Amino acid sequence: MKLLRKTHRMFKLHRIFIKQDLKKLMEYKIDFLTGAVGMLLTQIINIFFLSVIFSNIPDLDGYTFGQIIFIYGFALIPKAIDHLFFDNLWAIGYFIIRKGDFDKYLTRPVSTLFAVTVEKFQVDAFGELLVGILLLGWSIPQLTLNISALNIFLFIIAIFFATFIYTGVKLITSSIAFWTKRSGHIIYMFYMINDFAKYPTTIYNKAVRAVVTYIVPFAFTAFFPASYFIIGGNPWYNIGGTVVMSVILMAVGIFIWNKGVTAYESAGS
Amino acid sequence: MRKIFRIYKPFTHAGVLLAAQYRANFYFFILGDILRCFINYFLWHAVFTSGGNKTFMGFSEVDMVVYIFISFLTSVLAYSDGSYAVGEEIRDGNIAMRMIKPIRFDLAFLFQELGERLITVTLIFVPLLVGVEIYKFVVTGAFAFNIVNFIIYIFSLILAYLICFYFNVCYGYSAFVLKNLWGANFLKDCIVGFLSGGVIPLAFLPPVISTILNILPFAALTYTPVMLYLGMYDVPTIIISFGLQIFWLIFFIILQQIIWNACVKRMSVQGG
Repeated sequence: MKLLRKTHRMFKLHRIFIKQDLKKLMEYKIDFLTGAVGMLLTQIINIFFLSVIFSNIPDLDGYTFGQIIFIYGFALIPKAIDHLFFDNLWAIGYFIIRKGDFDKYLTRPVSTLFAVTVEKFQVDAFGELLVGILLLGWSIPQLTLNISALNIFLFIIAIFFATFIYTGVKLITSSIAFWTKRSGHIIYMFYMINDFAKYPTTIYNKAVRAVVTYIVPFAFTAFFPASYFIIGGNPWYNIGGTVVMSVILMAVGIFIWNKGVTAYESAGS
Repeated sequence: MRKIFRIYKPFTHAGVLLAAQYRANFYFFILGDILRCFINYFLWHAVFTSGGNKTFMGFSEVDMVVYIFISFLTSVLAYSDGSYAVGEEIRDGNIAMRMIKPIRFDLAFLFQELGERLITVTLIFVPLLVGVEIYKFVVTGAFAFNIVNFIIYIFSLILAYLICFYFNVCYGYSAFVLKNLWGANFLKDCIVGFLSGGVIPLAFLPPVISTILNILPFAALTYTPVMLYLGMYDVPTIIISFGLQIFWLIFFIILQQIIWNACVKRMSVQGG
């Protein structure tokens, strides 16, 4: 009961913060719109790039165009959700800690991590989310999928936990800033590895495949779960792996974050 | 000319110091970006293996790999922060301070950025170029470094940078009207990246579109230098390419001057 009340309060706070953020956004309407169009266009160009490739070859490493698009679209959804809710972690790595602005979160009656993430609602993410859903919608009729209640359930589970793989990686790398003052460049380097997830990992060599599967496990955000839906396979590995990886990353992330908060020393002035 | 160098040398010096300060950061960012090149490398490798053909629209696998890495290198070196820096100065009002000094606004920016580029060049130019040549050697079994193509490439690269700089300064002036520029810059980078051949070689596009894009200034930023490096152009095409690059450079320098003169008259600085 207490937990329920607590979650309820968190959601209420979240709504208030989102409202605040949207107000801020309205001030820079045109800038926001052009940014969102840019995000959309980036994805459209990438899809165009893929279609040029596929106009000359029948399949890529055994995958058809429809299957590749499904994996690509699948990859965008957890990425967009993470982007929407947990974008402020970038700011932690870039300037919040360096400028000593982290102080204000320490004074709030909610956990610091919650206070940080709730502060920003990154609406640009809707561009990616929209493209991801459209790509899935376009590719599903081209594929023979087994659409059952169980698979829809697994799909939601996979998307949910895949989101936290992104968040986990950002959490771990941004927490480094508690000790080094700045870690934006480190977040960036690790975050960029997510691009590998957009294509079947079978096209990479062994070393790259091992890195994106076990070390920075972005392969579990898209290729593994998506390939379960399009070609079948062991759900315990493909979906279960996503769950396990995201739980591990989040646990490590929260641990390092909490350590970091105690190590945090404000900027002197 | 000597006088110009004497006046603006301190800006170059400041640029060098600035870039050297953030060297470690720069390396991490570049590493993140190079990952994307490797993804493309694996993707194209799979394309050539799956397609079973030796060439893809006139590009062999080696050509394609060289294209991926050299176009990345070119786009990093010929990149300009001009639009962002100009936009920032306009927004925070610092531009007023620039106006009262007896120096040219564009040249001060240019020389500072050249200083930053100097550091960038030393950090990535040699490693990437050597890496590409070693790759070519390992795959083809022959040492095929073409010094003529390389020299032509360097000239084209310098022109590409200058075009990019002046184009971005022109673009940055739009902050006089729009005030806020993050989204606009993002959109611009996205469009320019595609039109300049940063995503796929322009030769892969339908002939009509490819011809039009070749004439537009964007091709001169990345595509032209890379094609010259690859030695894909014959002599008349090389001459035409250089002609186009020089034309666009002069075009943007003049445009920049016109916009600047017009903007100074109707400027309103925010705050004080």
